[in-house]
Amino acid sequence: MTHRHLLAALLAMSIQCSGMAATDAVPQAAAAPPVAAATSQPAAAPVIPTVQADKLTLDNGGTIKVTGQAAPGKPVFLEFWSSKKGRTSFFDTKKDEKTGQVPYKLYKTEDLNVLYRIYLPKDRQEMLNKVKADGAGWSYSKALKETGADVAYKAPAKIAIEAFQTSLMASMYGSNGEQLPALDSQETKRRSMQLVKARFRSVDKLLIASVDVQPDGTYATEIKIPEGSPPAQYMIAAVTGSDERSEATVIENRIAFPVMYFENAGTSINIIWPFLLTLAVSTFGVLMGAGGGFILNPLLLTLWPIPHTIVAGTAMPTILFSQGSGIYNYNKIKFINWKLGITLGLAMLGGAFIGPKLTELVSLDQFKFVFGWVLIVLSALMFWQTMPGYLAKNKKEQAILNEFKRRAAEAATAKQAAQTQPAN
Amino acid sequence: MLIEFWGQEFKVNIIIGCIGAFLIAVLASMFGFGGGPFMVPLLTVALGLPMYLVVGSSLLAIFFNTLMGSARHYQFGNVDIDLFLIMFPAAIIAGFIAPQIARRVNPLWVKRVAVLGMTLLAFSLLGFY
Repeated sequence: MTHRHLLAALLAMSIQCSGMAATDAVPQAAAAPPVAAATSQPAAAPVIPTVQADKLTLDNGGTIKVTGQAAPGKPVFLEFWSSKKGRTSFFDTKKDEKTGQVPYKLYKTEDLNVLYRIYLPKDRQEMLNKVKADGAGWSYSKALKETGADVAYKAPAKIAIEAFQTSLMASMYGSNGEQLPALDSQETKRRSMQLVKARFRSVDKLLIASVDVQPDGTYATEIKIPEGSPPAQYMIAAVTGSDERSEATVIENRIAFPVMYFENAGTSINIIWPFLLTLAVSTFGVLMGAGGGFILNPLLLTLWPIPHTIVAGTAMPTILFSQGSGIYNYNKIKFINWKLGITLGLAMLGGAFIGPKLTELVSLDQFKFVFGWVLIVLSALMFWQTMPGYLAKNKKEQAILNEFKRRAAEAATAKQAAQTQPAN
Repeated sequence: MLIEFWGQEFKVNIIIGCIGAFLIAVLASMFGFGGGPFMVPLLTVALGLPMYLVVGSSLLAIFFNTLMGSARHYQFGNVDIDLFLIMFPAAIIAGFIAPQIARRVNPLWVKRVAVLGMTLLAFSLLGFY
């Protein structure tokens, strides 16, 4: 007993001495030793861990060494989050095992930290491996509970979440569905975990067992803020129990032009790269006679951590101009059948009304899966266009086309001549 | 439906055309691409129209798709304006550069490279490697 109290007292003193967390630890430190020393009651005052970082500013990401002191023998969890927040949605289509019904509930938030992780003691690695063995269907809430990291889960626990009762039909015409009453705090916490998982997807991005805890309670780990992270403040708090939480250490991440932070895409990118990529892919697209979207979108998705909804939504309007100028040029030589084009166009108007909503409803993996198959079909179509049979037919039609073009040009000059003649 | 084009008449089954166009539009707007490479085979193979009629008219049809798709994506907040403003000029410049290059390369080889590239991309998306 006394051993422990002595330790607690020593610890509290060490907290007071360690500059960083001193301000918030002072009340605890001042109060704890006399109480603990004077009475032999069980240690009531929780021992607040400390946390320090070796750098307080970063230039477009980097690695921070984090050290601190906690009560000996306690597992140390570090909660790491960004001040910057973003949008995330989660569509609950998991069949309820009791009722056998699919909920079709859509949860949306504007408030989720764009970077969020919990660092665990190194000895929890095995538990994480077990979670990873569940594959894509792993449960974040279960993982938090099993590893004990749920004590550190705080920053996203109270985000504002909107819930909607939707149906496939409602999603088709683009409605969120009927808004459900506000969630209570427990439900908010539960759904926030699902949103966190929907946003960050993999175990490795959310839970990292890297905190090296020594028997005397000192600990150390490295926290990496990746390149491309938004310019914002990043907070680190050490947690050893439900009321044993340090004040957060704040790290400032800065970026400088030509690196730019893209608000909706949620990442910073050196703007030269997307420009060059679009230039190269679009040029190639024109050469192969198809828009570049087929190639551009998967590349955007692979090269940068941009959500698939933003990739689809941002790439689509970029082709408007080339299509518009194409229509203008074909129309000039009267090569557009307006009746056919508009009839099919109206059908496409209907399809395009539905498609963008579907982008929101599918997960990244589903998006990649379907896109992968679309590309395979397209490659097959294009391969067929390089076959001798197709080329022979195309050559014949190309000849007809050129003949038409010649006639169109002749007609145009004749018309011009007819117009200019009366004036003379 | 009867289509008249430069004095020639074509009879097409517009129902099949519209259903096909609708489905292509769903896919194209969902994934954010144009859809031309699917519309052209639909109109030439399923409707039996000649290529010279299809190129221009399908472009018109696709324009409707791109307009509506873009508007809906914008409505849902899926457009990153800054990123768009960087990509859009690049796409326009490409429209001027490409015809210059087109005179110097064999379109058949462009297509072959495209087939290879898209197959690799597809495998990467499907997680084969």
